[in-house]
Amino acid sequence: MDPLAAIKVTFFQECEEQLAELEGGLLAMEGGDHDPEIVNAVFRAVHSIKGGAGAFSLEELVRFSHVFETALDLIRSGDIPADQETLKLLLRSADVLADHVRAARDGGSVDEGRSSAMAEALEALASGMGGGGEADTGDGFSDFVFNPVAIDLSDTAAAPDTSIEDLLARVTGEVEAADADEGAEGDVTWHIRFYPQVGLYQKANESGLLLRELARLGRIDVRLDVSGLPNLQNMNPEDAYLGWSVELTGPAIEEAAVRDVFEWVDGDCYLDIVRADTAPAPTLAQTLAQTPATSIDAVGEVDVMALIRAAQAAEVPGAAMVPPSSGSAPAGAPARTEPAKAKEAALDAKAQAAAREASPQTIRVDLERVDRLIDLVGELVINQAMLTQRVAECGLQRASSVAMGLDDLEQLTREIQDSVMAIRAQPVKSVFQRFPRLVREIAAMTGKEVRLIMEGEGTEVDKTVIERLSDPLTHMIRNAIDHGLETPEEREAAGKPREGVVKLAALHRSGRIVIEISDDGRGINRPRVKQIAVDKGLISPETNLSDDEIDNLIFMAGFSTAATVSDISGRGVGMDVVRRSIQSLGGRINISSRPGQGSTFTLSLPLTLAVLDGMVVTVAGQTLVAPLTAIIESLQPKAADVRNLGPNAQVIAIRDTHVPLIDIGRSLGYRTVTPPPTEGVALLVEGEGGSRAALMVDAIQGQRQVVIKSLEANYRPVPGIAAATILGDGRVALILDIDAVMVPKPHEGLGAAPASTGGGYDLSAAPTSLAKVG
Amino acid sequence: MDGEDVATLVLPSVLDLKAVGGLHADLLAVRGRPLTLDASQVSRLGGLGLQVLLAARTTWAEDAQPFSVVNPSEDFTGALDLFGAPDLEPVASEASDPFAADSNSADARELRS
Repeated sequence: MDPLAAIKVTFFQECEEQLAELEGGLLAMEGGDHDPEIVNAVFRAVHSIKGGAGAFSLEELVRFSHVFETALDLIRSGDIPADQETLKLLLRSADVLADHVRAARDGGSVDEGRSSAMAEALEALASGMGGGGEADTGDGFSDFVFNPVAIDLSDTAAAPDTSIEDLLARVTGEVEAADADEGAEGDVTWHIRFYPQVGLYQKANESGLLLRELARLGRIDVRLDVSGLPNLQNMNPEDAYLGWSVELTGPAIEEAAVRDVFEWVDGDCYLDIVRADTAPAPTLAQTLAQTPATSIDAVGEVDVMALIRAAQAAEVPGAAMVPPSSGSAPAGAPARTEPAKAKEAALDAKAQAAAREASPQTIRVDLERVDRLIDLVGELVINQAMLTQRVAECGLQRASSVAMGLDDLEQLTREIQDSVMAIRAQPVKSVFQRFPRLVREIAAMTGKEVRLIMEGEGTEVDKTVIERLSDPLTHMIRNAIDHGLETPEEREAAGKPREGVVKLAALHRSGRIVIEISDDGRGINRPRVKQIAVDKGLISPETNLSDDEIDNLIFMAGFSTAATVSDISGRGVGMDVVRRSIQSLGGRINISSRPGQGSTFTLSLPLTLAVLDGMVVTVAGQTLVAPLTAIIESLQPKAADVRNLGPNAQVIAIRDTHVPLIDIGRSLGYRTVTPPPTEGVALLVEGEGGSRAALMVDAIQGQRQVVIKSLEANYRPVPGIAAATILGDGRVALILDIDAVMVPKPHEGLGAAPASTGGGYDLSAAPTSLAKVG
Repeated sequence: MDGEDVATLVLPSVLDLKAVGGLHADLLAVRGRPLTLDASQVSRLGGLGLQVLLAARTTWAEDAQPFSVVNPSEDFTGALDLFGAPDLEPVASEASDPFAADSNSADARELRS
């Protein structure tokens, strides 16, 4: 891949992160958090996207993000209040921005009408306030389209500068000029040494524009340092070799103003700013003394930012010594009470900034490499097990040094395996973060008022699982809003708040991840669900079903409760598809519903698809593995409990119900004659939709975690077999596909058809089988 | 070394991250020959573009080959000034073919003043 294309890939990856940050920030603001750091983060996110888009000439994206950024800038400066209406607009704009990013990445187009309507709304918002914003509207914008990057920094850096300076001017005017700003007395000179690093250019920043910004502050004398520049042959044209030292002279130039110029490239360049004269830098106390005793809220917020910058610039020795835990005042606390408090807030903000800088570093790794590593570790686990077995076969004592060394090796291997799995683990946030937008859109379409609450976004699960969670969850959230929640009027009539709540929660429970999607809507209309199932011939009318069983009917294929097929959830994809995709992940889905109070769907999924907890069993001399999650219990059948059903089929009575007794050896073709059930062990398993069966095996060897090897990839698909694994003795063991084994083969006819179970109905069986409930 | 061998490159209008790779390759391709760069189209010269041009100038000087920049646009000279690198032109002029660059560099100085 050529370097530029690689940068582009990175850009889009970063875009996704920025978009997530943007949305997270806006949601926090909507939730009433007015921390200026959040506003800044939101602004930075859009700015970064715009900057990168400019570098790649993605005009549509640049255009929209520019308008968006302009509006955000005015909010950042406090010129526009961040009220709920504004935030709703901003959130929708964030959605459109995400569309633009995706369109730029994947090709395709954005809904032009929606985009331009949103852009107009943003422009209206920006122009709605007087002054301060004029630089960014009108002409500035049309210039911008032709020369995206050139304006990039000049407009964004200038606007906040002026507003903060305005504010400071206002502020200092109010305060008695006891500590006169030394800058006001005459010219000050700053020595600035500035060495860009490669990242600065890659992020579409431009050293020339930074110099131009400096030139705006005063007279500049620029010296170019070419000492690091190699000759043409040895240079990488996209690396950064040059440096500049600038002497900036002008009246009343604040250090903060100088630093502001470099705000966006901080971290991407070496920067050194010192005052030319010997006058000491203003102390923090002096700076704080200029804080007004009373100032309005909006001013207070911006003011804190200025103070923080000043505090960082001033480098007061004491500041560094304040422990980061001095978190008594939140960073956003307006500095309007007294200097001491403001100081605390400023220092605290600094500590927070430091904490952010120290946040864990990450690298991007090609997924293939991780997969290869996981594969290799799988081999290592198998190899280690084989070695242990060989050593045991040699008759070495358990206490021998070899055996003990092997124990250590086993522990180490386990640890490596866990750590490698952890590399693939990702927080479910990457899926969850799509849903606020989904909810907003569906809410708008259905005219319902919905609040989405998300919990446990940090819960980690294997990447493969995450990728396949998105569709089922999307569908279930659609359902929850479209079918679950009532209209605001209905809710009011029912004595509920107009706004419905959809909750999405993820948590770890006993080695699995559990995801709950709940709503506080009307719950499942059981009589109607049952009626529909009867009408469609899915169950016989006289079937007696418990509430739970009726709720579970919605998972049956071909079931849809919506009276009319709606745009939102009626896309021909029923809950049966959701259930199937969850099951293909080795997961289960459950529903519980209370009429009038809402429904809860619970998904339980394995944390990874690479290893499996299995029951190792012997059948006809072969070793097989049954997934532990499917096994409910194991038992030794008594002769009295087993009944023949036709010549080939048997059922076994387990407590109050009869379940089909399936000989694994015969269904996989290992043998043609079934040994007496009393000589083997029966595994009671639960398959799709809760249907049960007892699988006959000869013996149980034990439980073991096995590494899953795809049979399809290495051999070819085999009916009844899900995958394979390699055992400690080096032999291949097949992993049973429980659901496939339970399905009767055509020639086995009636007998092997699963008679209905404790569940009372069977989703995979023909409707008539319900009549046979034991 | 004779005039017929002079390579002329017209610099692209925007010399930024996207353009420098191509420019770098183009310059390397004509290394060892007298070089004339036509800067008339340049509307934006970025730090990376400057680097390549400076490196080229050094390299051509090392090779003892004439190197000149002709028809610099106002934006080009303005950017050079801003970058504190106004000497790209004079140094280049010294090394360049006298009759090719004289009038142009005079133009450039006029534009800059």
